[in-house]
Amino acid sequence: MMRISLDRACAVRDHWSMTASGTFDEGVHLVSGITGSGKSTLALMMAGLFPLSGGSIVKKEMSSCMLSLQFPELQVTGRTLEEECTSWGAPAGEILEATGLAGRTNTSPLSLSRGELKRLHLACVFSQDYDLLLLDEPFSSLDCGEKSNICTTIEQTSGITVIFTHEQEILPRVSRIWEIDDGKLIGCGKPPDAYERWHHIPASIKRLAALGLLPENISIRDIREAACRIRG
Amino acid sequence: MIAIDALRCRNLVIDTLTIGPGITSVIGPNGSGKTTFLRICAGIELLHHGTVSIDGASPRTTEIGWVNEFPDRNILFARVNDEIASPLRFRCDTTCDAIDAGVKACAESMHITHLLSREVRELSGGEKVLVSLAAALVHHPKVLILDEYDSHLDALLAEKVDQVIRASGARYVIRCTQHMNTAVESNHLLFFDSGRVTHAGTPEHVVPFLKGTAFYPVLWECG
Repeated sequence: MMRISLDRACAVRDHWSMTASGTFDEGVHLVSGITGSGKSTLALMMAGLFPLSGGSIVKKEMSSCMLSLQFPELQVTGRTLEEECTSWGAPAGEILEATGLAGRTNTSPLSLSRGELKRLHLACVFSQDYDLLLLDEPFSSLDCGEKSNICTTIEQTSGITVIFTHEQEILPRVSRIWEIDDGKLIGCGKPPDAYERWHHIPASIKRLAALGLLPENISIRDIREAACRIRG
Repeated sequence: MIAIDALRCRNLVIDTLTIGPGITSVIGPNGSGKTTFLRICAGIELLHHGTVSIDGASPRTTEIGWVNEFPDRNILFARVNDEIASPLRFRCDTTCDAIDAGVKACAESMHITHLLSREVRELSGGEKVLVSLAAALVHHPKVLILDEYDSHLDALLAEKVDQVIRASGARYVIRCTQHMNTAVESNHLLFFDSGRVTHAGTPEHVVPFLKGTAFYPVLWECG
């Protein structure tokens, strides 16, 4: 069984620190928190790219890890779209077709619009299976339709997938909800039980919960299903 | 009134469109022409076909504040204080004391005084948006234009930015957002698709057309 365990893993920057404890099993995890709370730092820590000032992070039965950064231009290595796809080990033709970029094989990735580049980046990321997939703000720069497509893709990943985001409207079904508050990682638990403890609960779920209609999970489908019960 | 007439620019085609004062949210898929439209309204892009007038004047002769989704691409200076002061300094008609006072007042109204002495590169994404917004508002523009400014903001910060926008005194606010719960809190809504404005009007008028798509606001599902 794959697992990543954090035991008082501590990150320190100039005037700021964060401590994270918790166990991430296979499934999709959502880490919410306000801007600057440490979501990106935690993603870096779990990827092994941020030195711990204390504590430990132990990975069990995991051989591959991928971190998708919030700003995709930071992960571009190819001079052309074709080179970029190939650098991820992804089939260029298929990827470009699927992202609406067919016929632009020789275009520079850095000349794409931000939405296009994010789509290309995510398609490359999702072209491989990783034991641990860390997605830092995967929904930023995407339009609502694309966000919704990415949710479907995320729901189909295997292994441990952790989404670090402040997105509050269009989210996938998740197995566990976490949040970073006041320099600490807090496990809220599984939906729907997690809603009670979840400070960053989206407005829509909060409104439904107040009406006694708990969506089973946090995706749009679950919210619609719960909302139907109002009219039902 | 902002009046657009016979506009043709790359894939964007608008025969006629008028926008009244208040907050206008521009929504629609990526690549539908939203950013091009904002750039034209801001005077960043010049039109070869058609006209845009803001209360009878061209965008380039109107005071405009602009905030980009990636604030880094707009930020010119290393220190927050210098960045916010820059629009006033570039005008060359304001004394140093008046500039300092303007920056201070702007930062106070946005509760970011603690950021003034910081280096821009040390800020979080959300803090950079606040700094960009301060630089856009410090000269009290008539038109405030924000391009997917909330893509990197959390809900709390988005609400704070919303309050700043509403208190800004800008006669026109045109903002592009992918958060539909935010978009519906506007006076006007423009839905773009494939280079055309396919729906324009109040949120109550436009939103029903979006039923069944990913652009329908989640909160409207919840009664």
